[in-house]
Amino acid sequence: MRQVNCPTGFNWSNLKAELKAVWESNVKDWKIEFAYPVSFIRQLISPIVFLLPFLIYGLVLVGGEYSENLALLVGTGDVVAFIFTGYMLMGFIGTAVWAMGFSIRRERWFGTLEAIYVTPTSRLGQVLGMALHSTIHQIFATIIQLIVIYVTFGLALKIQGILPALGIFALMMLALYGFGIVISALGLILKEGWVVSDSLYSIMMILSPVAYPLIVLPTVAQQASALFPTAPALIGMRSFLIEGYRAEAFGNVFVHLLVLGAAWILFGIIVFRITDGYVRKRGMLTKF
Amino acid sequence: MSENAYHQSLLRGNLYVVWNELVKNIKSLLAYPTIIVFWAIFPVFWFIPFILQGEAFVGGLESANFAQITGTGEYIPFIIIGAVLNSYVNTLLYGIGENIRKEAYQGTLDYVLVAPCNQVYVLIGKALGESLSSTIFAVSQLTLSALLFGMNITLGVMLPVFFTIILLILGLYGMALILTAFSLMYKQSYDLSETIGYIFYIFAPVRYPIESLPNWAQILGKLIPLTYALIIVRSLMLLGSDLSTIYSDVILFLVIDVILLVMGFYLFNWMEKKTRKSGTISHY
Repeated sequence: MRQVNCPTGFNWSNLKAELKAVWESNVKDWKIEFAYPVSFIRQLISPIVFLLPFLIYGLVLVGGEYSENLALLVGTGDVVAFIFTGYMLMGFIGTAVWAMGFSIRRERWFGTLEAIYVTPTSRLGQVLGMALHSTIHQIFATIIQLIVIYVTFGLALKIQGILPALGIFALMMLALYGFGIVISALGLILKEGWVVSDSLYSIMMILSPVAYPLIVLPTVAQQASALFPTAPALIGMRSFLIEGYRAEAFGNVFVHLLVLGAAWILFGIIVFRITDGYVRKRGMLTKF
Repeated sequence: MSENAYHQSLLRGNLYVVWNELVKNIKSLLAYPTIIVFWAIFPVFWFIPFILQGEAFVGGLESANFAQITGTGEYIPFIIIGAVLNSYVNTLLYGIGENIRKEAYQGTLDYVLVAPCNQVYVLIGKALGESLSSTIFAVSQLTLSALLFGMNITLGVMLPVFFTIILLILGLYGMALILTAFSLMYKQSYDLSETIGYIFYIFAPVRYPIESLPNWAQILGKLIPLTYALIIVRSLMLLGSDLSTIYSDVILFLVIDVILLVMGFYLFNWMEKKTRKSGTISHY
């Protein structure tokens, strides 16, 4: 028999093996997605479908592409740029809430959860692989959104702001991944995990200044939004991408997002480990 | 048995099937109380961003441009009515379309379809079950919205609104039968339900008046039953119109309902016969 040396412990070989497992989990999800081409195409265009009502409604409210009241609140009245930059990030909240949050539940439905669980890799690696797939998917959807909105309505964004905006985006994704790990842990215990995912998505949608400035929310909601990465990320990205935009809150967005990222990742890992141990001890892994 | 007695017995039997199918659907829903709480409350969260957006863009509770197009500047009740009716349509359409698929998941579809009764009455029972649960959710959402946002709802308005909802349900039954027919054959009705939901969401005046869309989109929008329901309900509740002043929309609504129902029944019967013949009814 050929001897196989499995890497163990925190070292470069083990890390490489874990990253390979994350990548393969991502590839697996792409293969499943391409097996249903109709569903794939539908999911690519769904961000446009949900963005358009916000845009058309906004344009009808003010009778054009400029809102005086919005300009008073945040320094810019450009309705299209404001809503587009806001909604662009909403799909990535879906990555955390649905793709990661539902990853465990989906494996249960397929009947492959036990097989995945006995694989000699970190369970978190599986969740991260699904997150990677969803993030790449969402990037494609965002590019399609950008093209459609630019061609239909015109879009004025600062080109020099793209790099710092991407930096803010990366920091936001770190924190969102941590949040997603928490939700995937909940999926191990709760039978109707989609209710939790949908509820949290709805709440984050309100706390994130997607189609309105943060200042419109009640004070307690504004304070609560500081605990989630989307609000500071949106404000930060808008300040780099939209001419004249005046950031309403949060000070140094980069530091804020770094702290949130570290906190959510740590919290996510702790909750996942506790829940994972609890579920396996009680033999609840495959319970539907 | 005389012919009269036979027909009475047959009718009693069919109504018994409808009743039991309805009871089964409700029992199935009651087994998941979190789902009931979710649908009764959370759709309200989905339109709050639109209300906040309105406040941010307009700086108040009324929009002059809205008033020019719709006859009322109050965008909040406009949004609430759109959201509640859209949520009603989604839960009903999705519920009925997926109901047959659920029987397949549970392994009971074969037994349902070989039961010695007309399958149409099974579908009617399922449709009534979904209608009842969707109506309860919609009433809950509307009540919550009225309490949170101060919407004025009177009994005089609710009676013609109720009649409009019945017309909407008829049209949706037709669409649901079409979806169920596809579900029997192609097994993936979810994507079709979602795509129809997308079409409703953009082309029906859920969040904005239909006049704000380009002409080609307005024509497409006017083929959707939800469009007429929204126009009629908003005219009744926001503009104080009565049914006699909007009778042309009511008549067009009825015509579309009839077309959808006839198409739905025909397609379902044809697809059911086809899948029985091919032996793929319980295939996944």
